[in-house]
Amino acid sequence: MAAPDELFCWEGDWGLPSISTDCLVVLAYAQFAGAPLKLRKISNPWRSPSGSLPALRTNQKETLSRPSDIIIHLRKQKFNADYDLSAKEGADSLAFISLMEEKLMPALIYAFWIEPKNYVDVTRRWYAEHMPFPLNFFLPGRMQRQQLEKLRLLRGDERLEAGEELEKELYRDAAECMNLLSQRLGSHKFFFGDSPSSLDAYVFGHLAPILKCKLPNGKLQQHLKTLDNLTNFCTNILQLYFPKDGRESFSQKTSPHSEGGDFDHVPNKRRKQFLSALVALGAMLSYALLTGMVSIQHAHHEALEEPPDLQDIGSHHDHEDEGDG
Amino acid sequence: VCLPACLFVTLTAAEPWPENATLYQPLKGELQYSYLYILLFLMCGLPVQVFCRANAEYMSPSGKIPFIHVGNQVVSELGPIVQFTKAKGHSLSDGLDDVQRAEMKAYMELVNNMLLTAELYIQWCDDSTATEISRPRYSSPYSWPLNKILAYQKQWEVRRKMNAIGWGGKTLEQVYEDVSQCCQALSQRLGTQSYFFNKQPTELDALVFGHLFTILTTRLTSTELAERVKSYSNLLSFCRRVEQTYFEDKSS
Repeated sequence: MAAPDELFCWEGDWGLPSISTDCLVVLAYAQFAGAPLKLRKISNPWRSPSGSLPALRTNQKETLSRPSDIIIHLRKQKFNADYDLSAKEGADSLAFISLMEEKLMPALIYAFWIEPKNYVDVTRRWYAEHMPFPLNFFLPGRMQRQQLEKLRLLRGDERLEAGEELEKELYRDAAECMNLLSQRLGSHKFFFGDSPSSLDAYVFGHLAPILKCKLPNGKLQQHLKTLDNLTNFCTNILQLYFPKDGRESFSQKTSPHSEGGDFDHVPNKRRKQFLSALVALGAMLSYALLTGMVSIQHAHHEALEEPPDLQDIGSHHDHEDEGDG
Repeated sequence: VCLPACLFVTLTAAEPWPENATLYQPLKGELQYSYLYILLFLMCGLPVQVFCRANAEYMSPSGKIPFIHVGNQVVSELGPIVQFTKAKGHSLSDGLDDVQRAEMKAYMELVNNMLLTAELYIQWCDDSTATEISRPRYSSPYSWPLNKILAYQKQWEVRRKMNAIGWGGKTLEQVYEDVSQCCQALSQRLGTQSYFFNKQPTELDALVFGHLFTILTTRLTSTELAERVKSYSNLLSFCRRVEQTYFEDKSS
């Protein structure tokens, strides 16, 4: 049997296997279809073969980035979660996926990346904490600029800025989309029959971050929580297919409290403290040496041994001056 | 005066649809997606005249063409126009239940997402089509050097958008595949019915007709796209039927 394909994806948090919508879609589909994938959860997009996440590295050393491409590849390998769907159901899947991309995704981008309070308090902090040095300084900002650009191009408005009117419009579209999904789901367990399909993966990927992540401006979450069937749908999938990540969130919830607030929850604290002290000491020493406050040992001893010479040198100079003058 | 969609219901419900409603589109020969709106208004029984203006894109409040000028309001884009006509008391989708309405909205997004994007891609990101057809056509109303600047600017704008939504890395073959997939979904949804929902046409029918008709009648460097659409016979007969019902009467 060939070695399994490698999937690079973002790390998880808040009880989710991954924090990124695209990664969640791929992970969910792989679980539904029973595809064996070697998971590499990383927080450094530069270590992925395509430079972005998610990325699938196949056996033929090909790299796929778009969730739709990855799903098509898995289908070709006979891991097909849509096998039992009728032609009309397949068509409906495509339609509802398009609906989510058009109406829900812009709101997600806005809520996580553009809305100022959310971005600063949650998104940027999460990425800065999880990315390695020195990426954590500039990469979140660059990602935010890319997302803003994407939103601008999606809406066709070059001068788009964060604001109440834009927020109202986007959230209204997103709320309508969620309502439509809820109407379509009805009281069923999954969108088509008793087993999940690719549409379920997409819906899960888009709704799970809204449901689980606590944002300061959480209007989307409020609306989603009013739609019981969608909330149950997400928690159901998490319990059935990602039980480990759900449990991890419990243990994570208790530890920050014991450390007394978010400011203490810094990874590798001791190592960072030691490194900072070392760097500070090195800087002070080199400054002292360069300005001459501290000189190297043997020159100092010579000066101490021959102080009379200084007076001689001084008298020599006087003689020379008199000689010249 | 351009109003956001949510204000339509309160302000415009009182006035009936005026006789002098006009639709603006850029160029004479190419009706682009105007067919879609003309059809929409025909289906609702509303009169509308079509004007061709080279600067229609700049007149439009959101930059999207075509747009309509009704009374003292200017509305562009499908969503707001549909809501506007609804506020005036004309709606095609009132007879649908909730699930059907959800499906209709989803399919409309599918058409927008796939067909519209594919058409844009083929027109502007495929080098041969862009050079031979799209750029000359776009720049025809203007004189040198404005025509060159505007044409390249439009092309660059479209390419940026394609990159942002992830279509930048697609090949032409993949785009044709996507169009086929979309047409297959529409074909399966239509089945053997006359219209997509029951016997009554809805906004989805207008949208699908607008796009398919545009694909079938627009001149491109290769006929591959039109051939792919034609391979779905029920979609082809759907287009013919709509054309005969609504457009042949108009011209006669």
